[in-house]
Amino acid sequence: MKISDKARQQAESCRFCWMCRHVCPIGNADGQERNNARARALMVSYVIRGTEKLEDIATNMYECSLCGACANNCKTGWDPRLFIQEVKTQIILEGKEPEYIRKLLDNYSSCGAVFGKMDKGAQQLLQKMQEEYSDGKVLLLAGEMAVNKDAESLEKTLKLLSKGSESICLDKSADNTGYSLWYLTGKTKETVECARKCAEALNKYEKVVVYNPVELSFIRHEWKEWGITLKARVVGLNEELLDLINNDKLKVRKSDIEYSLQDNFAYARELDDVTSGRQLIEKVGIVKDMLLINKEANLAGQLIMNEYMPNTMKLVAKNRWMNAMNMGCKTLVTENPDEHVLLKENVPEGYKVITVEEMVLDNLA
Amino acid sequence: MNEFLFTQILTELEDAVGKENCSTKLVDKVAHSVDYFWLSRMWADRGREMPMGDFIVSPKDAQEVSKVLKIANYYKIPVTTWGGGGGTQGGAIPVCGGILLDTKRMNQIYDINEQGMYIECGAGAIYKHIEWAANERGYSTMHFPSSLTCSTVGGFLAHRGIGVVSTKYGKIDDMVLQMEVVLPNGDIINTSSAPKHAAGPDLNQIFIGSEGTLGIITKAQIRIYIQPEVRRFRGFLFKNMHAAFEASRELLQIFKPSVMRLYDDAETASLIKKIVGVAKPGAFMNIAYEGKKELVDVEEKILLETFAKYGAEDLGSEYGEKWWEEKITFFYPGHMMDLPQMFGTMDTIAPYDKIEEIYWAMKKAIETKYPNIKFIAHFSHWYEWGAMIYDRFICDNPPQDPIEAMKLHNEVWTTGVRTALAHGGVVNDHHGVGIKLGRLMKEQYGPAMQVFEGLKKSLDPNGIMNPFKLGL
Repeated sequence: MKISDKARQQAESCRFCWMCRHVCPIGNADGQERNNARARALMVSYVIRGTEKLEDIATNMYECSLCGACANNCKTGWDPRLFIQEVKTQIILEGKEPEYIRKLLDNYSSCGAVFGKMDKGAQQLLQKMQEEYSDGKVLLLAGEMAVNKDAESLEKTLKLLSKGSESICLDKSADNTGYSLWYLTGKTKETVECARKCAEALNKYEKVVVYNPVELSFIRHEWKEWGITLKARVVGLNEELLDLINNDKLKVRKSDIEYSLQDNFAYARELDDVTSGRQLIEKVGIVKDMLLINKEANLAGQLIMNEYMPNTMKLVAKNRWMNAMNMGCKTLVTENPDEHVLLKENVPEGYKVITVEEMVLDNLA
Repeated sequence: MNEFLFTQILTELEDAVGKENCSTKLVDKVAHSVDYFWLSRMWADRGREMPMGDFIVSPKDAQEVSKVLKIANYYKIPVTTWGGGGGTQGGAIPVCGGILLDTKRMNQIYDINEQGMYIECGAGAIYKHIEWAANERGYSTMHFPSSLTCSTVGGFLAHRGIGVVSTKYGKIDDMVLQMEVVLPNGDIINTSSAPKHAAGPDLNQIFIGSEGTLGIITKAQIRIYIQPEVRRFRGFLFKNMHAAFEASRELLQIFKPSVMRLYDDAETASLIKKIVGVAKPGAFMNIAYEGKKELVDVEEKILLETFAKYGAEDLGSEYGEKWWEEKITFFYPGHMMDLPQMFGTMDTIAPYDKIEEIYWAMKKAIETKYPNIKFIAHFSHWYEWGAMIYDRFICDNPPQDPIEAMKLHNEVWTTGVRTALAHGGVVNDHHGVGIKLGRLMKEQYGPAMQVFEGLKKSLDPNGIMNPFKLGL
């Protein structure tokens, strides 16, 4: 198997201390031994040594959400995502991908989205938004997940941002950062090309507000590593909302409503931002934290994986709700469309999940 | 096994636990073939496959476990139970193939009972998860082993585990009230509703430490404790270990600290210097005492007076606090021994009249017979009557050939444990027996081994439960 020395070193570096088992949202949900960092490293190590075959580990590589909880817990700085993504590239190059992954890639080829064709209602809503917000200097980079799975939240975001900034717009040509393709295939020619095209489109704007922190992290880290640079100023939605509130462009009222932040891993772990979401809550209400927050936050769902392992994703969301319920956290506030959609689909009676922008919108003065 | 019979058994197991919870895929077989046992890791490191289960099943509760065991008994195929795979004795390795039963789907927390002060949970719950559940209500399980985040409730029970605050709060066998166990024939039983009784022998203690050879623990009520108002630390440096033993024995007749940990000169000069920062020669000891502030004040006074009598240098609280912060760091890569080294922890326990003699005898036996092997130790679990030795051997350059490495490994272990036994120790303190030490069980127990053998024969007449473990 052809993987870089760096990835090989990562796979061979797991010292079997297993101190990260308890934080894997997938292993915790399905209880399967193969879904922990150590098992993946062991399998990859066996394939590197020629003891086992690449096809035997293919499905397992796609059972990782890349949330980085294990890497965050690894005292030796070991990061399984490095070898997982390179092994995926090998799987694709050798045509050993599972059938359901092939199907998602076929969707991508035919519709430009791994999720396939959008349903009619969402398509109409998106079209309406694209027409309404067609011009502006500030672009809302909606991203693949929100466009395909959470268009209603996008509409609320545009409504909110347009109250604070006159020139917010959506741009169909700048929606695909290449994240989904990268998730499924690792760094391939097609992924880099997709990212480059998106970057070109983004550079037409003065400022880009990235809706999904996972894609913001992808732009800041992977794009940068691939030599893709941006002229446009790129910020996350939390940062933009805080800026608008702090500069009185958005006027909010503070209430005594308790909100509990579902820290998204990309903000908390990849972008080192565990404060912006809580600062937003403090502007309009009271922070009530669950256990497992900030960098220790538990993933609550991943939409691409939901396409081929929906039962596990349901359990992932349910586990996070359990954390909330145990601490009496009635209203969860999400920062990412994946977690918003999946927490909403599994919401227990008497509890509520809203997005950051929805929370601000609800509390406008 | 022929393909026809294999498929027949597979369909029955799928029927018992659901298709998605019964796997014959290589990825699942391999994931359950290498645990924390040095030999299994070495074997994999040399690119060799370890023995694998043929069917990997993940039942969700006792009823499904029962169905699996009935199938296994009918076809007379082995069943090896796997929790977190964090064991060091090879207890979870499916050496004879057959069914590998993973308990981690039995991870439900059924009840956090604040009246009865226990959490009832599935045996497959990761211990750290039940600690979190306790923390959410303001309590703690007070079970803090280095494997807290990777091992299951059932795993700790099956191998008689222990955590760092054991002197005050006890070992896992002190921390459990009632258990649900599935017997090899598939019958589901509950142990008595409370552990301290006179209704015959304590059933809990028959299954705790039985390593899946007599049944499968599926549910347990685990004790919870209030969080201490204060937890204080004090580091001391003794001129020699004898003084530390005398001081500790005297202290324990008066009160129980939570943490008591004494390092021999070699570990003080290596691990303690590196992680905690104590640079002076001697034997470092860390003591933690906790609870209601007024009581802790009194305990502190007694501790300082007692240890001063034995010439201990009071290092203040800083090193002890550092030790607490870094208590798991000792086991992280870079601090813990690791491949390519060969290593092992020959933990044993004995009363105070024997424990020092055992330490010196083991050290002499290992270092004399194997000049290239280092022997270091600390003493981490203390009682009014005795203490345990966490003694480790380290070989920097073991043979590359896996067979030769295995032979040397087993020889060193036999030398060390046999020496402990000869001087009044036991086969193991808290890691269990597994396949690693099964051969030495008869040497420890002599004719008493027939009690275990009788239980085994009666409960598991077909010998399907975790074969070749525990010396049964």
